[in-house]
Amino acid sequence: MSKGQVGAEQRLVTPGMVIGPASGKRAGSGTIAENNEFIATRLGWLNERNDVVSVLPINSAYMPRSGDLIIGYVAEVRNNLWFFDVNGPFQALLPMSLAPWKVEYGSTRQHLGIGDAALARIQEVDETHNMVLTMKGVGLRRLNEGAVVSIPVNLIDTLRGENNATLSRIRDATNCRIIVGDNGRVWIHGDSEDMLASRQVIQTLQQEGHKDTFETAVLALEGERGEN
Amino acid sequence: MGGYGDVKLLRDDGKRLDGRAIDEMRAVTIEAGVLPAADGSAMVTHGLNVAVAAVYGPMEAHPRKIQRQDRAVIDVRYNMAPFSTGDRIRPGFNRRSREISKVTAEALESVVLVERYPRSKIRVEIEILAAEAGTRCAGITAASVALADAGIPMRDMIVGVASGKIEDTVVLDLDKAEDNYGQADLPVGILPNTGEIAFLQMDGDLSIDEYNLAMEYNFKAAKEIHEVMADALKRRYERGDA
Amino acid sequence: MMVELVPSLLRQEINRLSAQDQRLDGRGQFEGRDVQLEVDCLYNAEGSAKVVWGDTIVFAGVKFEIRTPWPDRPTQGSLMCGAELRPVAHRKYEPGPPSPESIELGRVVDRGIRESGCIDMEKLCIVPGEKVWGVMIDIHVLSDGGNIFDAAGLAAIAALRTSIVPAERFDVGEDHTLKVNGTPIMASFKRAGGRFVYDPSEEEELGGDERIHITLGDEGHLHSLQKGLKGVFTPSEFAEILEVAETKCTELRKMVAEKERN
Repeated sequence: MSKGQVGAEQRLVTPGMVIGPASGKRAGSGTIAENNEFIATRLGWLNERNDVVSVLPINSAYMPRSGDLIIGYVAEVRNNLWFFDVNGPFQALLPMSLAPWKVEYGSTRQHLGIGDAALARIQEVDETHNMVLTMKGVGLRRLNEGAVVSIPVNLIDTLRGENNATLSRIRDATNCRIIVGDNGRVWIHGDSEDMLASRQVIQTLQQEGHKDTFETAVLALEGERGEN
Repeated sequence: MGGYGDVKLLRDDGKRLDGRAIDEMRAVTIEAGVLPAADGSAMVTHGLNVAVAAVYGPMEAHPRKIQRQDRAVIDVRYNMAPFSTGDRIRPGFNRRSREISKVTAEALESVVLVERYPRSKIRVEIEILAAEAGTRCAGITAASVALADAGIPMRDMIVGVASGKIEDTVVLDLDKAEDNYGQADLPVGILPNTGEIAFLQMDGDLSIDEYNLAMEYNFKAAKEIHEVMADALKRRYERGDA
Repeated sequence: MMVELVPSLLRQEINRLSAQDQRLDGRGQFEGRDVQLEVDCLYNAEGSAKVVWGDTIVFAGVKFEIRTPWPDRPTQGSLMCGAELRPVAHRKYEPGPPSPESIELGRVVDRGIRESGCIDMEKLCIVPGEKVWGVMIDIHVLSDGGNIFDAAGLAAIAALRTSIVPAERFDVGEDHTLKVNGTPIMASFKRAGGRFVYDPSEEEELGGDERIHITLGDEGHLHSLQKGLKGVFTPSEFAEILEVAETKCTELRKMVAEKERN
C-alpha cells in the first residue's frame, strides 16, 4: 500500500489546488505556501504528518539523492571512468577509483562495457544534477545474471511494504533474489519458473500501480505457490 | 479574422448557427494518460477539435547551448496533423506552428516550477488531430493535463479558452464559421486558481468594453474547463478497489 | 532518431527465455497483442482510423486533392502514403526533417497498398488530361510501444477503405465512397533471442535483431516485403513466418471488414 492510500486522509489533489490554511503547519514536498494558504504543486494524495502538509506524487521522474541504491546501465566508457544511465534526467559518473576492482588506466572496458548493469550507490549529487557513483560497499557489484523489471519510482514503497514485508512475501513465494533499486529498477534472479512468477507480480505495478491490484496479485501468488 | 461581410452568424432568435447561446462554450471532454510511451499525456476534445499532448522528461537538455544553469527549459512543439484540416497540410516547417509553440512554451514556463530542474529539458508535444477553430487553446489545456499527469510540479495549471466577436456581438468560444467570418478572436491561457493570465493573443477589432466582456466570458469558461481537467486526472487514478 | 542504450541483461534474458520457448510478456512465439480498431474517428479527414495495438497507438487520415495528371498517364490518379515519426511517439524520436525511419515506414506501407492494386488509378480520373484525384494517406504514430509497422499498415488500409471522396467540396459531382478492391495487411516479425517472433514488443525491439515485414493481399499473394536492421535469415525461417503471416493477415482482414459493416 502506498502511504497516501491508507488512513483517513485520501484526498487527491491537482496542481494549483488550495489545500487549506497554512497556520501552524509547514509546507512539505509537493506544496508551496502562498498568501497564508497551502497550494498543491503536484498531482497526488494529500498527506499530513507531524504538522507537515505534503503531496505524495502519483507519478514522478526519478530524482537521484545521495545514498540511493541504484541499478545503472553503462552508457559510455572512458579510459578512467564510466557514465551510467540511472533512469534519471542526467547520467552519473563512476570514477575508476570508486570501482570495486583495481582498475588500471585504460582498462575500464575490461570490467564494465556498454550496456552492462551494476548495483551502485549514489555518492554525491550537486544542485545542477552532477552525480558521482560508488561501487565500494557491501553488495555493490556488476550484475551478470538475472533480469531487471522497471516500476514507477513512486510505487517503490508499495513494492517494499511496511518494513519490507511485502517484498519478503514475494521473495518467499517465488524463491527469487530480489533487489529493489531506489531508481525504479528491480533486479530479480532465480529459477526460470520462479523468475516468471516474480516478474509477473512486479509487473502488475507497471500496469495498474495506482490501483489495489498489486496486493491482490501478491495474495494470488502466495495462494498458487503455497500449494506447490 | 477573415473579415465579415454578408455571412449571417446569429439567428433571429439570438442564438448562434449551431444553437449555442452567446455565452455558451462547446462541449469539452478530457482523458489523461492516453499514450503509454509518454511520461504524461492527455487527449482533449473541444467541440470538434481533437488535441493530444505528450510530456517527456525532465531530461538532460540537448544541445548544450539551450541548457540553463538555473532552471529547466520547456520545449514545446505544436503541430497540426496533415489530415487535421479541410485542405491537407504539408508536413514540415510552418510559421504559424512555430509561433504558437513559442508562446505556449513561455506560458507553461510561467507555471512549471522550472527552477527545480537546472540544465534539464521538459518536452511537451502537442498534436492536433482534428481542427475546428480553437486548436491552440485545446493544445494548452491538453499540455497542462499532460504535465500534471507526468508528475511535473506546477504552481497552477493553465486552461486554454477563447472568446470573440461576431456580428458586433461578443461570444464565447468561436467555432469554425465564426472564426472565419467573425470580427475578433481573443484566445487566452488562464490560471484557474490564481486568476492570472499566462497566454494572450488577439486579432481583429474589439472595443475596450468588448474586450472586458470577452474576458469575463473566458474566465467563466475557464472555471468550467478546469473542473473537467481535474476530473480527468482523478479518473485516471481512481482507486481500483470496487 | 536517438540511439538507445541496450542493456546486456535484457538481451541475455530474451535469449534465455527464447531457449525455453517463452517471451518477456508471456506470449507465445507467434502470439500477437490485443488489437483495437476504430474507423471514421477524425472529423476533418475523408477517411480515418485509429489502431491501438498493445502500447502502440497509430492514427491514419486520408485526404483528397484534385491535380493535373502526369502527361504520360493522362487518365490516372495517384496514391501516396506517408508517415511521420514525430517526437510525440517516443522519447527516442527527435524533431527535425523526416528521419530515414519515418520514410521507411511510409514507403513500406505505401508499397503494400499500391502494389496490391486495391486502388484502380483509372477510377481516380475526373477529366482525362486535366483533372484527377490525388489520394493521400498520412500515418501519425502517437505512441511507439513496439511494432508500429503492423499498426500503421492496418490503420492506413482501414482509413482508405472507409473513405468518402469529397466531390461536392471540389464541385465535381456527388460525394461517394472510394472504391477499394482488396485489403492488403502487414505482418511483422523480429529476431529476438535467435528466433523470429510475431508482433515484437518495445523491449523485444530494443534487445532484438533484424525484422521482416510481409504484406499479403486477399488472395494470399505477396505485395511488399522488407527486411530491416542488421542481420540475416534463412529461406526456411522465411517459409515458417510466411505461414504465420497468412493466418495473422486473414484475422486482421476480418477485423477491417467487420468495422466497415458497422
